Amino acid sequence: MTADEAAIAELYDNFDAGAQFEGSVAGNVRDPYPELARKRRESPVEGRTMTLFAGGAADGSEDVTQDAFWVYRYDDVSAVLRDNESFSSESVREMMGLVMGPYVMVGLDEPDHKRHRNLVAQAFRQRALQRWDGDLVVPIADQLLDRILARGTGEAELVRDFTYRLPVQVIAGILGLPPGDYPKFHKWALALINVTADPEEGIAASESLREYFADVCELRRKDPRDDVISDLVHAEVDGERLDEEEILSFCRLLLPAGAETTYRATGNFLFGLLSNPDQMAALMADPGLMTAAIEESIRWEPPLLIVSRRATRDVELGGVTIPAGADVVPSTGSACHDETRWGDTSEQFDIRREPQPHIAFGAGPHMCLGIHLARMEMRATVDRILTRLPNLRFDPDRAGTDPHIHGETFRSPTGLPVLFDA
Amino acid sequence: MRGEPVALEISINRETCMGSGNCSFWAPGVFDLDDDGIAFVVDIDAGPEEKIILAAQGCPTQAITLTRDGRPVE
Ligand code: HEM
Ligand code: SF4
Repeated sequence: MTADEAAIAELYDNFDAGAQFEGSVAGNVRDPYPELARKRRESPVEGRTMTLFAGGAADGSEDVTQDAFWVYRYDDVSAVLRDNESFSSESVREMMGLVMGPYVMVGLDEPDHKRHRNLVAQAFRQRALQRWDGDLVVPIADQLLDRILARGTGEAELVRDFTYRLPVQVIAGILGLPPGDYPKFHKWALALINVTADPEEGIAASESLREYFADVCELRRKDPRDDVISDLVHAEVDGERLDEEEILSFCRLLLPAGAETTYRATGNFLFGLLSNPDQMAALMADPGLMTAAIEESIRWEPPLLIVSRRATRDVELGGVTIPAGADVVPSTGSACHDETRWGDTSEQFDIRREPQPHIAFGAGPHMCLGIHLARMEMRATVDRILTRLPNLRFDPDRAGTDPHIHGETFRSPTGLPVLFDA
Repeated sequence: MRGEPVALEISINRETCMGSGNCSFWAPGVFDLDDDGIAFVVDIDAGPEEKIILAAQGCPTQAITLTRDGRPVE
């Protein structure tokens, strides 16, 4: 291991904000799905006051709450997300803009959003991603596995040792950051991802990243390479270009949007396989099941359960009138378990289920830009894990663990304590 | 009706397509993105009809319309 690699490994080893983050932000909920099923049945569109962070105000004295109309059924969630004229992303802009600047794409409305998205989209198309599969993602996965195997103990905790570490490295790689900068990049990235747990540090990290990315843009403008920052500074569609602040917001958005979601989704996929050994065996016997297995895991346990919108006019939905100006929370997590689409087994993980598009990546014009990258990362990494850690299974005896997926806004496993044949 | 079953027809609304590429995930070989990032039909026979129907359902903006004999296919 080089000195830089050791420094990054140490950073993650010592990173504790994760625990704090899990409790306060993700919501300490083990299984929100029975309650979501009840909502789908009894009050599919419902005005609620929701505690976002208990005792979460800056001085810790009061709860941060939000009044909003929650939407639980698949068809209604899909309708809200597709109707971007009645449901604006202004509420997203308010939340994310503070940290990432007012031009953050996920918070833009039309026509600004379309222009921005067209300019960044090229770099994230399925074909454009092929260059990173074998050259970037697989080597990062192998390096993390080398480290696990080098211990020679036949055990690992795959969240700490693997899933938490990989996606930020992938983002660094696709952005084309110089490897010498990785230690400081990872430090800022982790602070930015955890901004809700520690706003002061998160906002400071975001500012550091802004300045840092500005320097990288300058370098790539003069000397383009085969990476996303070069693509962004040179992107041009119909004479339009991205301005500097848009690029700097976009690069920062990739950390929560692209790294946090993927680390959680990969953990959930592994959890599904580890708790269903028959399905893991079936997948290993028939790699042709991989595509369906990935989609099923994202449907079954989406890493992110809600998005946010604001009504621009009075809208009638599910028998409820949502007034202009009200915040709306489409529960994509609930929609992914809607029994009208997935029947009475909708709560179960079943990789042999009849494939059917889900809505964990959103819908409408803001549908996730990273669908191809997320799928590619999950495929490559889970494939490497299953190949290199034979006879992978949960460790039933690991002291003090009761591994389970938890959270009500973000969800991922508390841990993945595993054994394998070393 | 007599003879061959009537073929499926695909039309893509270039105004509403937002270039997700999700159609080419669900029905690879049938759909792809052009240089403007808008979906087009490469080869309607490259995948089974069920896959094409999934692709249309998975389109985030409902930009894909399927018809058979002038009637919508769901
Ligand atoms: C399984 C993993 C992922 C899930 C479940 C997920 C989910 C989502 C969802 C639900 C949205 C829509 C937000 C909204 O409508 O307000 C979204 C948007 C977005 N995602 Fe992902 N995402 C994942 C991975 C990624 C990755 C790997 C990237 C990296 C490129 C990424 C980048 C983005 C961006 C840039 C947007 C904003 C798109 C826009 O506003 O047009 N995501 N994602
Ligand atoms: S799924 Fe729909 S929006 Fe996405 S590329 Fe295909 S046609 Fe366009």
